[in-house]
Amino acid sequence: MSAPVAIVGGGAFGRALATAAARVDRAVINWSRSPREFDHPKITTTSDFAALREAELVFLAVPSPHVPGLCHELGRHLDGGHLVAHVSRGVVGDDLETLTEVVRETTPVRRVGALAGPLVARGLSEGEPGGAIVGTLFPEVADAVRGALGGPSLRIYDTDDVIGVELASAFVSLITLAMGYAKAGGFGPGTLSVLATRGMAEATRVVQARGGSERTTAGLAGFGDLLAAMAEDGRPELALGRALWEGEPLDEAASRLGAYVEGVRIAEQIEHFGTRNQVQTPLAAAMAAVVAGKISQREAAALLMRRPARVE
Amino acid sequence: MLATLAMSLLPKRPLHLPRLRTYVPEPSDPKIFWFNSERSDILQDVVRRIMERYEADDAIELVIGDAAYHEIRRLEHRTDEAGRKGLEYWRGVIRRVGRMSSEGKHETLREISMRMAKDVAGNFDPRVYKFAARAVPGLLTGVMNPSNLMRNVLDSGTRLDELVSVEGPVEKLRALQRKGTMLLLPTHSSNLDSLAIAWVLFREALAPVVYGAGKNLFTNPIISFFMHNLGAYRVDRRVRARLYKDVLKAYSSIMVERGYHSLFFPGGTRSRSGAIEQRLKLGLAGTGVEAFARNRARGVNRPVFFVPATINYALVLEAETLVEDHLKEAGRARYIIEDDEFSRLERWIAFFKRVQSAESACVIRFGEPLDPFCNPVDEDGRSMAPDGRVLDPGSYVSRRGTATVDGARDAAYTRDLGRAIAKAYVKETVVMATQLVAHVLFRRLCRATPGLDLFARLRHRGDIAVPMDELVADVAQTRDGLRKLELEGRVHLSAAIRRAEPDQIITRALDAWSGYHQKPIARVLGGSVIAEDPNLLLYYQNRLRLFAPEIAGSHPGDRQAALEIAAMEGAR
Repeated sequence: MSAPVAIVGGGAFGRALATAAARVDRAVINWSRSPREFDHPKITTTSDFAALREAELVFLAVPSPHVPGLCHELGRHLDGGHLVAHVSRGVVGDDLETLTEVVRETTPVRRVGALAGPLVARGLSEGEPGGAIVGTLFPEVADAVRGALGGPSLRIYDTDDVIGVELASAFVSLITLAMGYAKAGGFGPGTLSVLATRGMAEATRVVQARGGSERTTAGLAGFGDLLAAMAEDGRPELALGRALWEGEPLDEAASRLGAYVEGVRIAEQIEHFGTRNQVQTPLAAAMAAVVAGKISQREAAALLMRRPARVE
Repeated sequence: MLATLAMSLLPKRPLHLPRLRTYVPEPSDPKIFWFNSERSDILQDVVRRIMERYEADDAIELVIGDAAYHEIRRLEHRTDEAGRKGLEYWRGVIRRVGRMSSEGKHETLREISMRMAKDVAGNFDPRVYKFAARAVPGLLTGVMNPSNLMRNVLDSGTRLDELVSVEGPVEKLRALQRKGTMLLLPTHSSNLDSLAIAWVLFREALAPVVYGAGKNLFTNPIISFFMHNLGAYRVDRRVRARLYKDVLKAYSSIMVERGYHSLFFPGGTRSRSGAIEQRLKLGLAGTGVEAFARNRARGVNRPVFFVPATINYALVLEAETLVEDHLKEAGRARYIIEDDEFSRLERWIAFFKRVQSAESACVIRFGEPLDPFCNPVDEDGRSMAPDGRVLDPGSYVSRRGTATVDGARDAAYTRDLGRAIAKAYVKETVVMATQLVAHVLFRRLCRATPGLDLFARLRHRGDIAVPMDELVADVAQTRDGLRKLELEGRVHLSAAIRRAEPDQIITRALDAWSGYHQKPIARVLGGSVIAEDPNLLLYYQNRLRLFAPEIAGSHPGDRQAALEIAAMEGAR
């Protein structure tokens, strides 16, 4: 009999993962600080990390700033036999430390991976056909994720370019924020397309600077995910970008949206990384200034457009 | 001239000393003293493992065909007798393999694997070990002063004690060597590295290690004699056959499984740029993970410890050739340099003359040992979790409670380990005076040439003059930055840098360079220091490349220059 699947996080995505795993007949333990029961016999809930010990695969479905703290607690109950996959679209600190790196540093778990791509909570819960990608060095992790979630309606690819998957995914949050901002400003499809394409070129530069592959940003974790975001799959970044254009203060907009918005911190983190590593990150710099309220809409647009165009 | 003549008269194949009676190791002897009695079993194990790997006839035919193809290509230009015979053998194999019965294919694979394994396997002669341990320091010192060679040989290397210093958890390593197998993973900047490490292991009462040495090092008959009789195994990088790589990996893994402490240079080759190696392939060192898993899968609980170490030289014997190679685009692919300073006696003499006057010309710093899964280990060799719990390392190679051997999984652990070792290299770097002064001068060069690419900058030979008082101030400020990093546990400073005044640090560096490197790197003229050789400045300063932005001065030009230095290519 398979070991249960553990899911850390009681938000929409954590609950969707639990439902998806239960759908393929896996026993699921869902951890959150204030557990809410599921109407499914295969899913149990807990607020005690020790209960996750019996699982083999653990999903982390919490916003990136909470991952280090949670891992310190969770790590006390795990060992080298566990596998961990996270679904956060964020990074930690100005060195763009990825969450698989955080898991490796704060827990004894080494078999780690990042699940990314055009996955949305509703689609997962309802079993809508779709695809995703697992970035991991360990084939066992990819197999375990497929075993827990994959089925006739969900194709899960894998790659060993872990850093590429995690950074591409983080960039999608940033570009989506910028798209929301530009859409609210009334910019048309041509402008949005340039923003998306040049944003992804920026992502590629950063991915390569951190040792990842350019192919990854062109795949499910990068453009694949961005297409889903542009098709308005309900990401908070899009709504937050709109709110920022309309002049709503960041705190108010974030609390109104009721979800943690990864794209907000990423802009500043990437800008700092770019400065220190001599990597050009104009989109991140512009969005960091927008988020900090340092520049107006007009200035933001001018900042991006006045860059000289060169060979693509 | 005489030395060349003497060398030419020495035999080309490694010599073994005749043995009148069998050496029986003492129970307290290091594991390697048992090597000769196990050698034949080890070779059989290697062949058995190859036969397990290629069970199917198709797979055997393919791997034999691949070996024959690569060997024929390698040998067809050789004109010597051995080359001709080899070519004949492989042509015969390729003619026959298609028509062979299943049994014939198995037998041929067994035969080829054994030939390769015998070529790889080393030898260990305790008499040579005991002699070398006494004589090597004297021989090295003797190179400096040939008229006193005999006295130096007998003098047991007191001079070398002062030249090579050791830092790090030596006591802990001694304890761990008794509890498991130790894999020593040093940085690699010079062919002297293996000699320096071997000497330090002996001096610190650490067990000797086996290691794979490039076959090119065996061309010098004296070095070959010592290497061959001290457990080194031969790695012939010219042999491209997949089977040869399998044999090497199997040999290395079996040695670790059997508890032979080993040494690997995970960077693969000497750092051409002078930078701390950051892209580690690990190569054969990865067999440490496989060896641990194999032992666990058959119920043997023998821990494996990976010990990162940095070898830090004030002067690098082969610096000129290495940096030249680094800068040549074509040179980057060059793997075996056969005509560098290491093979030229007069360069050795010049080198040792210089280092003799330097205090701690070489600092070897051992890092904290790790288990194969990047966990730190305590004095008892137990793996520790981040929360201080004791972990079972076996859990990493198990699924649902059963330990297994899994090549893909172990390759992934090896990549993780490569990153952990690379991080440790940065932390365990010991900054030397020459590197600090080169960094400050090179930063000035970058500051004076904003926006230029590296190669344009390197053309500025002798153009940059820094007034001595400004250089002293820059060195003082940069050292302060390094001290801060040292307090945070992110790097280490050599005793000379820690204690000396900035002007003394500059003098030490200039003195060390002048007289060894053929062209002056920097010289004092009219109260200023002139940057004469940007290539070598680049080489020595590259060791500080990763720290550049944090140790830059407050001058805006300095900060920009530091950012440009940090972003330079130079991991190899």
